[in-house]
Amino acid sequence: MTMTSPTWPAPPGAAARVGGAALQVRGLRKSFAGRTVLDGLDLSLAPGEFLALLGANGSGKSTALRCVVGLERPDAGEILVHGRPADTAPPHRRMAMIFQQIHLVHRRTALDNVCAGALGRLPLRRSLTPLLFPRELREEAMVCLDRVGMAGRAAEPAGRLSGGQRQRVAIARALCQRAEIILADEPVSALDPAAAEQVVALLADLAHEQGLAVAAVLHQPDLARRHADRVTGLLHGRATLDTPAAALTAADLATLYAPDHQHHPDADQEHQ
Amino acid sequence: MSTSTGALPPDSRLTPPRRRPVTTVTAAVTVAVVLAHVLAWNGTEFSPAALVQGWRGMADFAGQALPPDLSWDGVLRPGLQAALVTLGIGLLGTTFSVPFALVLALLAARTTAPNRWAYQAARSVLSFLRAVPDVVFALVFVTAVGLGPFAGVLALIFHNTGVMGKLWAEAMEEIDLGPRDALRVGGASGVQAAAHAVLPAVLPQFVGLLLYRFDVNVRSSLVLGLVGAGGIGFLVNQSIKLFRFDEMVTHLAIVMVLVVAVDQLSAYVRRRVGG
Ligand SMILES: Nc1ncnc2c1ncn2[C@@H]1O[C@H](COP(=O)(O)OP(=O)(O)OP(=O)(O)O)[C@@H](O)[C@H]1O
Ligand SMILES: [Mg+2]
Repeated sequence: MTMTSPTWPAPPGAAARVGGAALQVRGLRKSFAGRTVLDGLDLSLAPGEFLALLGANGSGKSTALRCVVGLERPDAGEILVHGRPADTAPPHRRMAMIFQQIHLVHRRTALDNVCAGALGRLPLRRSLTPLLFPRELREEAMVCLDRVGMAGRAAEPAGRLSGGQRQRVAIARALCQRAEIILADEPVSALDPAAAEQVVALLADLAHEQGLAVAAVLHQPDLARRHADRVTGLLHGRATLDTPAAALTAADLATLYAPDHQHHPDADQEHQ
Repeated sequence: MSTSTGALPPDSRLTPPRRRPVTTVTAAVTVAVVLAHVLAWNGTEFSPAALVQGWRGMADFAGQALPPDLSWDGVLRPGLQAALVTLGIGLLGTTFSVPFALVLALLAARTTAPNRWAYQAARSVLSFLRAVPDVVFALVFVTAVGLGPFAGVLALIFHNTGVMGKLWAEAMEEIDLGPRDALRVGGASGVQAAAHAVLPAVLPQFVGLLLYRFDVNVRSSLVLGLVGAGGIGFLVNQSIKLFRFDEMVTHLAIVMVLVVAVDQLSAYVRRRVGG
């Protein structure tokens, strides 16, 4: 494919050339105890792009992200990071994952939590306890906290922050990790509408202003429409929809969120 | 809606499942439990008659034991000094087992174990240390390093490593793995993830269990004294051998004060740390 040939979909601000993809997933398969969860999933994500992943409960979104970051081992498929195969097990320093449950250490300060993002590049003797973290790292972590608007709360234990604030600290941790790809699994499902708006806008900014490749599982199509560049829809472990966010239609959503038994092959068999 | 339920025709799908009847299984279990008690009664030569006949012996004993011997130089001072030694045995036995228990617990918790082999090996070591009673360790170390409190400290280090390592490993297996996974994704090694996600989450439980074990170990070190491993247990043993029961009662009173004080202290600190 040449540079001049039209690539569809053409996400705004994203280099959607095949060679330019930050993350490319091809034919990902995964089943649990004989139940197929990922059925040949394809995904692509470009630097500077904010991709929203939509799909009904159980369509395999979390499993897909966990396979990509190495928390789950796929049965088959290819995961390419900047065109090169990603290892099948962690660590994947270029990728960070953001969770619905946030997963900060509540007893540690926001700053220490952010510093922990850099563990992968620290030798053990500088990282056995937060007391040993180098000063440059603390300074870098403060910059990351400032980027998410949380510098003022750096010294507070993470457990004392609100959900939205904690999620922003988790994003700062990903920045401190110097991740180029951020994968977020329902980052705002536990947040109130205002905090959700703020966090999704932050993820979009990181993609558009810092050129990070960001993919987020969202359960609010409206947020996806307003902030994402592109939407990929999952249905029964396959990407069945790939469209610019602005072009997302009600019919697309109706297909994605159709009641389970209408399309699921397993369910059809059960009804026979 | 709900008011009309009574008038609905019976629907077979909604009949609650029948409770399992009291079956032969229940009966068999009852018989087995009763039988076990009968066998145990015979095996332990359990005999209320012997207790009644022995009553005179008990009364004699009480006559010799009371009033307790409270002489300062002869009994009270050595008793208090020995109680301090007992406390010291419990303290060092607990503290010096911490590094060993920590390493073994990290290897023996599925959350932090580097691989199955290390996990199984650490589990086996902990089981062995736990299975051998501290008194047996004390007897072994008395022959190795001689009579005295040092043998008691060594015995407690070994046994307590087994017990505390197991308790700590279990505490680590119960935590939410999310924070660990988040750090692993970001490139943290297993040791780093343990230090920054697992250990901070279990720290209060660890401190609570440590204090609980200190309390238990001080009480154990009394028994260790009985087999020659120093402390006030050793004095109790001596006064029994010399038929100085009035001395023994004084020593037991000191023991009681010591045990209650340590128990209260440990409970107080545990409440404060919220373990
Ligand atoms: N570790 C596992 N063991 C067994 N089954 C699993 C496991 N993880 C996921 N599944 C199954 O895989 C299917 C897809 O799960 P997944 O969590 O990926 O869906 P999802 O799209 O993230 O759904 P949701 O919107 O509810 O988060 C579900 O049926 C789930 O039960
Ligand atoms: Mg999910």
